[in-house]
Amino acid sequence: MRVEERPQHLPAALADDLDLIAEMTADFARSLDIEETLRLGLAHISSRMEAEAASIFLMEPGTGDLVCRACWGPSDVTGLRLPKGQGIVWRAVNRNATELVRDTTDDPDFAHQIDNNTGFITRSILCAPMAVRDERLGAIELFNKKGGGSFDADDRRVLQALAASAALALINARQAADMAEQKALKHELSLAADIQRAMLPPERPPEFPIHGINLPARGVSGDFFDVVELTNGKIAFAVADVSGKGMNAAMLMSKTASLFRCLAKRLDGPGAVLAAIDSELAETSSAGMFVTMIAGILDPATGTVVLANAGHEPPLLCCGASLTRIDEGMPPLGIVPDLFALGCPESAIELNGGALYLFTDGLTEAGSTDSMLGSDGVARMLAPHRIRPAPDRLRAVVAQVDEAGLALKDDLTMLVVEDMRNQPALNRQYQARPASLTLIRHDLGQILHQLGISGPVIPDIVLAVDEACQNVIRHAYGGGEGEMIVQVRGDHDHVDVRLIDFAPTIDPASVCPRDLNDVRPGGLGTHFIREVMDDVEFLAPPPGTGNLLRMGKRIGGHENRKP
Amino acid sequence: MKIESRERDGAVVVALVGEVDLQHSPTVRKHLMDLMFERRPVVVDMGSVEYIDSSGIASLVEAYQAARKNGTRFVLAAVSQPAMRVLQLARLDKVFALADTVEAGLSA
Repeated sequence: MRVEERPQHLPAALADDLDLIAEMTADFARSLDIEETLRLGLAHISSRMEAEAASIFLMEPGTGDLVCRACWGPSDVTGLRLPKGQGIVWRAVNRNATELVRDTTDDPDFAHQIDNNTGFITRSILCAPMAVRDERLGAIELFNKKGGGSFDADDRRVLQALAASAALALINARQAADMAEQKALKHELSLAADIQRAMLPPERPPEFPIHGINLPARGVSGDFFDVVELTNGKIAFAVADVSGKGMNAAMLMSKTASLFRCLAKRLDGPGAVLAAIDSELAETSSAGMFVTMIAGILDPATGTVVLANAGHEPPLLCCGASLTRIDEGMPPLGIVPDLFALGCPESAIELNGGALYLFTDGLTEAGSTDSMLGSDGVARMLAPHRIRPAPDRLRAVVAQVDEAGLALKDDLTMLVVEDMRNQPALNRQYQARPASLTLIRHDLGQILHQLGISGPVIPDIVLAVDEACQNVIRHAYGGGEGEMIVQVRGDHDHVDVRLIDFAPTIDPASVCPRDLNDVRPGGLGTHFIREVMDDVEFLAPPPGTGNLLRMGKRIGGHENRKP
Repeated sequence: MKIESRERDGAVVVALVGEVDLQHSPTVRKHLMDLMFERRPVVVDMGSVEYIDSSGIASLVEAYQAARKNGTRFVLAAVSQPAMRVLQLARLDKVFALADTVEAGLSA
């Protein structure tokens, strides 16, 4: 920027000064590298202000020393370091005021040593500090007015203005750099979170006996769960919570997760796995960090779980109406070496058709501090969702904790281990909308086939269930949002399909098939259901649900069985 | 699912391809009713219907009724086995005009 026209009433010298300030301020504002701009601008400032030499000192982060970052004139002192308190520069910085030294011989603070080293003879000094609010950034220093005179009060005002504008530009540039760094850090954090998510086990079909969910409070998590299928048909699982939050917790979590993944397949029993992880962590973990962890093994054939608990929240066994806390356990892992030298005790639990819930304190301590959930609270939260298939049940409970999308205070992990021996062959939750019907028909066709059924009865049953789902979508929910659960039990002789929704309970009497002699669109669906299925009835809906329609079909005839 | 419509011998042959379910039957209904509004003779080629539900059948019933009122032709041709099963369940196999092939439907 250049100010072309000089207002008539300004004295020439003042106008020159204003030009200089305007030019430099524009350069600073444009600049992406303020230090470089200062270096280039220094020559300009010096010549316009008739100085024989000039330097710029910036405060070095960390040491707090003033270091010469640019200089102009006969001797080069770039890199010169002034420890706290030395010379006129430090005086200007400390007082945060421009120093005008007309004659250096009169000033006791003048550092003669530098002149002795460079051979330059300093007669007068003008030094303006660069500071924004309370943050001291450095100073601009001019030496010796050309022609033998001294700098004057006008020079002082000009340099002061230049220094103020340079300081603002420096601060802006630093903040921009900080922001870029934060952005890069955020990106790295999200990469770390990706890696962590990849360490979690894959989501399995809803009929699999163990499911987990993990919701990190920040990008990375100090919690983890894992599910590992063993070669003997049993399934190993674990839930753990690393003390602390943030990156260090996340890294210790990754280490613990890797150890579990590796040891679960090799060691015999969860007690041995926890003892081995403890000895590894106690040897190498950093001070003050520990891990609470439950490991277990489920035998799906018997519904028996063997558990070992190292300082973790007691799991909850839900069996019918009864709730049991499994309290036995050892201290957390990684605290003192040899704590688990004698092994870790295991307890055997019969699921008896029920489910075992493991969770981290992110669940029990969710919400405000005065309403900690505790395990009773967890049971209360579970109650309305027990009918849902496990993955949907976990999501529903977590959604309740994370209601209104409030930020979680802690990482939240929950795992459910179920006895699937008497569970439906198909147990899935779908969104109650037309687009779900293709998937429902596909899942149903597949499961009927797996039950040993074949032939034309399959499309008939699929049609009947599709029609029943349509009734839920169109009539029970009336086109609104909602979910429905399809359960299929049975064998090659008999199929029992249950359709459960969460809509308002409807009066079964209002659902009747149409008169077929009356040819008109609509009303056919219920007729199809009754025509295809042998018995169709509304049962008392389970707690938390709206309607339960049961449809039974006897598979008669040889053509409907697989050879 | 897909709806493929083409002119042939003064009629419109509408081929329904895939699954005619609650998600797609509104499109089928609109397509057929537009043709009924134009009083076009229609042969519905149902050879590639893999699945049809009550809402799909209802769309056909509505078009059939409009055609009757118009006095125009409305034939279901080459009905696939799964679609025929559903027509039978609805006892509509005796109501609709059916043809074994599209050609037969056009010359009916």
